[in-house]
Amino acid sequence: MEEFPEELRTPPVALACLIGCPEVHPLITAHLHSQQPPINAVALPDFSMIPPKKPPRDTLEPPAGIIKRDWFSKHRTRIPAVVAAIFSSRDVSGDPAQRLQVCNDLDKLKASIRGRNIKLGVLVVTKWNDKDNTSEERILALRKRAEIDSKNLIIFVPDHEPELQQCLSRLWTVLGELANTYYRDEGRRVRSRLEKKNYSSMELNVRYCFKVAIYAEFRRDWLEALKLYEDAYHALREMVGTSTRMPPIQRLVEIKAVAEQLHFNMSMILLHGGKVLEAITWFRQHTANYRKLVGAPEVIFLHWEWLSRQYMVFAQLLETSSPNALHVPSTAPVAEEKPTEWEFHPAYYYQLAASYLKEKNTCLEFAISMSVDVGSFDGSAESVVASAYLGQYSRLLEHEDAFIMQPLTDMEYAHYALAEGKRFKDSFEIIALLKKSFEAYSSSKAERTAAYCGLQMAREYFSLNDFSNAKQIFDSLANLYRREGWLLSLWEVLGYLRECSKGMSSAKDFIEYSLEMASLPETTGFSESFSKDCGPAGPATPSQREKIHKEAFEVARGESELNSDEQNSAFKVKSDYPIYLEIDVISPLRVTLLALVAFHQPMVKPGGQSLITISLRSQLPINVEIDQLEVQFNQSECNFIITNGQKPLSSTDIVQPGHRVETAPDLVLATNKWLRLTYDIKSDLSGKLECIYVIARVGPNFTICCRAESPALINDSPLWKFENRLETIPIKDPGLALSGQKAIQVEEPEPQVDLILHSSGPALVGESFILPVTVSSRGHAVHSGELKINLVDTRGGGLLSPRGEESFSSENIHVELVDISCDAPQDQSEAPSDKIQKIQPSFGLISVPSLDMGESWSCKLKIKWNHPKPIMLYVSLGYLPRSDEPSLQKVHVHKSLQIEGTTAVAINHRYMLPFRKDPLLLLKLKSISETDQTPYLALNEKTLLIISVKNCSEVPLRLLSMSIETEVKSDACTIQPQQEEFREAVVNMPGEEFKKVFTIIPKVKSTKLKIGNVSLRWERDSNATSSQVTKYRLPDVNVELPLLAVSLECPPHAFIGNPFLYSVKILNQTEILQEIKCSISDSQSFVLSGPHSDTMLVLPRSAQVLTYMLVPLGLGSLQLPRVTVASVRYSAGLLPSNASLLVFVYPTKPHVDLKPPGDA
Amino acid sequence: MIVCLAVVGHENNPLYIQSFTESDDALKLHHIVHCSLDVIDERVNNPKKSSPTINEAFLGLLYPTENYKVYGYLTNTKVKFILVTTDLDIRDADVRNVSLLFFRKFHAAYVDAVSNPFHIPGKKITSKTFRERVSSIVKSFGLSSAS
Repeated sequence: MEEFPEELRTPPVALACLIGCPEVHPLITAHLHSQQPPINAVALPDFSMIPPKKPPRDTLEPPAGIIKRDWFSKHRTRIPAVVAAIFSSRDVSGDPAQRLQVCNDLDKLKASIRGRNIKLGVLVVTKWNDKDNTSEERILALRKRAEIDSKNLIIFVPDHEPELQQCLSRLWTVLGELANTYYRDEGRRVRSRLEKKNYSSMELNVRYCFKVAIYAEFRRDWLEALKLYEDAYHALREMVGTSTRMPPIQRLVEIKAVAEQLHFNMSMILLHGGKVLEAITWFRQHTANYRKLVGAPEVIFLHWEWLSRQYMVFAQLLETSSPNALHVPSTAPVAEEKPTEWEFHPAYYYQLAASYLKEKNTCLEFAISMSVDVGSFDGSAESVVASAYLGQYSRLLEHEDAFIMQPLTDMEYAHYALAEGKRFKDSFEIIALLKKSFEAYSSSKAERTAAYCGLQMAREYFSLNDFSNAKQIFDSLANLYRREGWLLSLWEVLGYLRECSKGMSSAKDFIEYSLEMASLPETTGFSESFSKDCGPAGPATPSQREKIHKEAFEVARGESELNSDEQNSAFKVKSDYPIYLEIDVISPLRVTLLALVAFHQPMVKPGGQSLITISLRSQLPINVEIDQLEVQFNQSECNFIITNGQKPLSSTDIVQPGHRVETAPDLVLATNKWLRLTYDIKSDLSGKLECIYVIARVGPNFTICCRAESPALINDSPLWKFENRLETIPIKDPGLALSGQKAIQVEEPEPQVDLILHSSGPALVGESFILPVTVSSRGHAVHSGELKINLVDTRGGGLLSPRGEESFSSENIHVELVDISCDAPQDQSEAPSDKIQKIQPSFGLISVPSLDMGESWSCKLKIKWNHPKPIMLYVSLGYLPRSDEPSLQKVHVHKSLQIEGTTAVAINHRYMLPFRKDPLLLLKLKSISETDQTPYLALNEKTLLIISVKNCSEVPLRLLSMSIETEVKSDACTIQPQQEEFREAVVNMPGEEFKKVFTIIPKVKSTKLKIGNVSLRWERDSNATSSQVTKYRLPDVNVELPLLAVSLECPPHAFIGNPFLYSVKILNQTEILQEIKCSISDSQSFVLSGPHSDTMLVLPRSAQVLTYMLVPLGLGSLQLPRVTVASVRYSAGLLPSNASLLVFVYPTKPHVDLKPPGDA
Repeated sequence: MIVCLAVVGHENNPLYIQSFTESDDALKLHHIVHCSLDVIDERVNNPKKSSPTINEAFLGLLYPTENYKVYGYLTNTKVKFILVTTDLDIRDADVRNVSLLFFRKFHAAYVDAVSNPFHIPGKKITSKTFRERVSSIVKSFGLSSAS
């Protein structure tokens, strides 16, 4: 757009001229310019500067051109539409000499403007004070002299602000009207010629239309301007075939220049009016009209340049026109096809401008190469200038102090154009245009179109030998084409990249691009692929691929040099400059070499063997022979090298000593065929063993490092995904091909150490349960061993009792690890710092001393059960088999054992009254109905306490002693015996009950007498563990004084027929007389004498005895006659139990001596 | 005159591309087809902007280049057909009808080609029969538009 002068790029502004009184000019000029629409003003200080009258034009002369180059600018800057003559009031109303001067000036001015039809306005400048002094008469005379309407004469008062503003706005209105009239009149004048077809040639027709349009533009009559521009444009188009005025080349150049101007003005009007759609339609028509008019072949580049300029200017217009109008295509029906989305984007036009400019460049280069004698014209080319008419050129000759314009011949013009073309380099302009387009497309997310612009841009950089810029763009393009699988485009781009890397002497890039090209899928059956125009790499044919493949390997092997044509630097792959390619999962070179690695098993024992298959595939067109393959793992000890059996291992090959070397019969990669290699692999280290790289070496200095991939996770590259090709599986075993992994899990080494937990059955509550643990080495020495002990509740939950959550004390812990005692280490020198021992209630840690093979070590865990609870004991031993390699992983042995915790003994007690003695306890009688279980004991009476001990465990226990410990040392009661050590330990078998009898005589009357605790000392029968004490608290008892005590007395046995005494003794311990009823029932077995039924009185604190004489009649265990004793006062009676009424009756006195043997 | 025909898959990958010119501009046609995918993307993503077409599948003129016009067609399975022509002087309505008719015929040929049990969906079309059939369709249209 900058090609066009400024006055063409902005809407035309009417021009006024101010003459005289220069002091007010700035004021007026500024005001006129600031109004809307503005009026430009040229200022002439005085009337002597009025230009002379215009010489009459000879209209018969045929026109020399279509439009004068400066015609428009002349009207905008030099020929005013209206002249404002400014006089001061002093001159107007002054002396006659001054008045005469005014008249003369006015006449001179009128004479000058008459020929041009310029309108006149008059200003009289006066002072505010003098305003009324100027006589009406004088003013009228002036007006008459000037031949103007009264409204066109303005009294101008510059020194009074309100008046001044009024004057200025009046002046602006008057001048605007006059200018409009001028432009309208001029337009009409020219138009009448058009309507009468009063023109001698087509040129004049175009010129008249153009002029009318310009005058209309001055009047802001856009519609008329547009219509006339269109007329001019059509008339001009007709001239193409008909005009013969000039030599053909220059004629076309002129027509195109004018058409460009016309179209530009039209586009301006349309776009500023927001009619984008119409503008685009017009532009389409414009380019369609002229695209085919290429002109003479030697200057065809001028045509492309012109076309390119059309697009570029239109793009700039579109870009600068209001953006809101840009996206609202008008809905007016357009006869032509609707423009598509891209045609609203300036980027579209920039792109085409660039492509035409490129075309121009090509043609120009061709034209220059064709014309050998360009240089000869060079000197005279300088004298060629643009002539007065738009689009015409002529030679400027200096002839006797005058300049003469001499027309050019076509030949001369062509030379001139060539010489001009040579002066400019278009490449940068092309790149600039493309960059604009590229950025615009990128921002509107048209990635592919942007890529196409990028491609053109990169090609341009390439042609300028700017390889780094070109490579950067080509690389991004290659990514897009790879992703979407556009093979031919990718082939072209890679070809360029190959050349770029050559130019940059980068052998690595060269080899990479070459290999990628060589391994691209073949576009079989497509004739396009054999098209010649496929970039610098030539057609994408198989033979071309093979050629590229060979070139790459020749460079890689160092057999040939990489030399760029432009720079004379040659690059050769040598040992100083080795080539190292790395191929990872996202690398495009994956198709060149793909390495899949699969272990045949998912897990392996340490030191165990596993099979590993390495599958290599290449899509290169020719077989590749690999000299050496190295397989690298994350455990570097497993790395191994596969050498090619066909090639002897040369000294240059890198084989580190100690590394495993395998030899394969041959290592040849054929196109799209898997090279499968299967080897054993052995790892001693537990953990993950993963294959990381497969490195192929070809030649001494060329290495391809390929990241290993798992067959299970393989995905095809996008380029090959859409190809119809033979799919083969990488590993023969199809299951492995689908699921194979490049990593294997190496298990921990099998422990060669036994961990033995000696369980001795269930633990007993209260005892310190000793659990021996033995570590005995079978095949491993033990170093840095550690034994971890964990106690876990088998039912889940903690080992604490529920209420122990708040207070953490040993009482609340059900089971606790108390101690770990171990054998004193044989080696006394062992530093104590090595000994770790940590004991917590449920966790313990102890270090195990170093053991040699075959040795053993043991320790004892002391676990105490406070409550019966089963637990799980976990013991784990971690050790190092060798002391010299601390990095090795520890070997672990785990053992667990469930241990039941049971109660050892259950202790019970029972109170018994002495035989045939019954005290009357009133409270006991009263409480009989209640559920009170508190036993009642009689004061001062002997009571028997039977303690029974039951073995609840599964092992025999040995009871050592039993005692009753009274809590308070008092005489509240006497217990016999207080303590008894069993002389010989009582062995209590499981389930057995052991009973011990104590006597108690309560001495104090109390409702809650504390008896004390039974404490039983026992131990396991099996081993000599320390004895345990189990305590049993006896419940409190009620002690009261018995009121009455009844005791039956009778011999333990009787003889048949022999009488014996059977007496009932009633003891009254009260202070009152007690009335007792007693009766005796008859019995068949006995003959009885004594009171059968009686009531008797027992004196206070005395005893009454009731005696019967019985003679037994039967034999054996007989029931004595039942005596019933009842206290009247207390309504309580004694009913002796059946057991207490038995007596054994012998037939005769036994002959054995019943006396103890000692007495005999 | 039809100069190039392309079938483009879901990932904007060419499934079939054939040009019918004697001159050596296959690569340029590839680029034109590739660029036109941007227009299709935009039309498909902003359906309101595009003019109401006779047939949903027919996308109409995608964009004019220097010498060519590009038309698009989108099948129900989102496979794109792209047609590049040099018929710059035919009236719009005619072009629309002719190209729509062409696309219908071409679509039928495509459906037959991918219905081949030996064709793997998503892979390039290499069938010779398809190729010949397309050539004959193009030839018939070339003749009819010339007459």
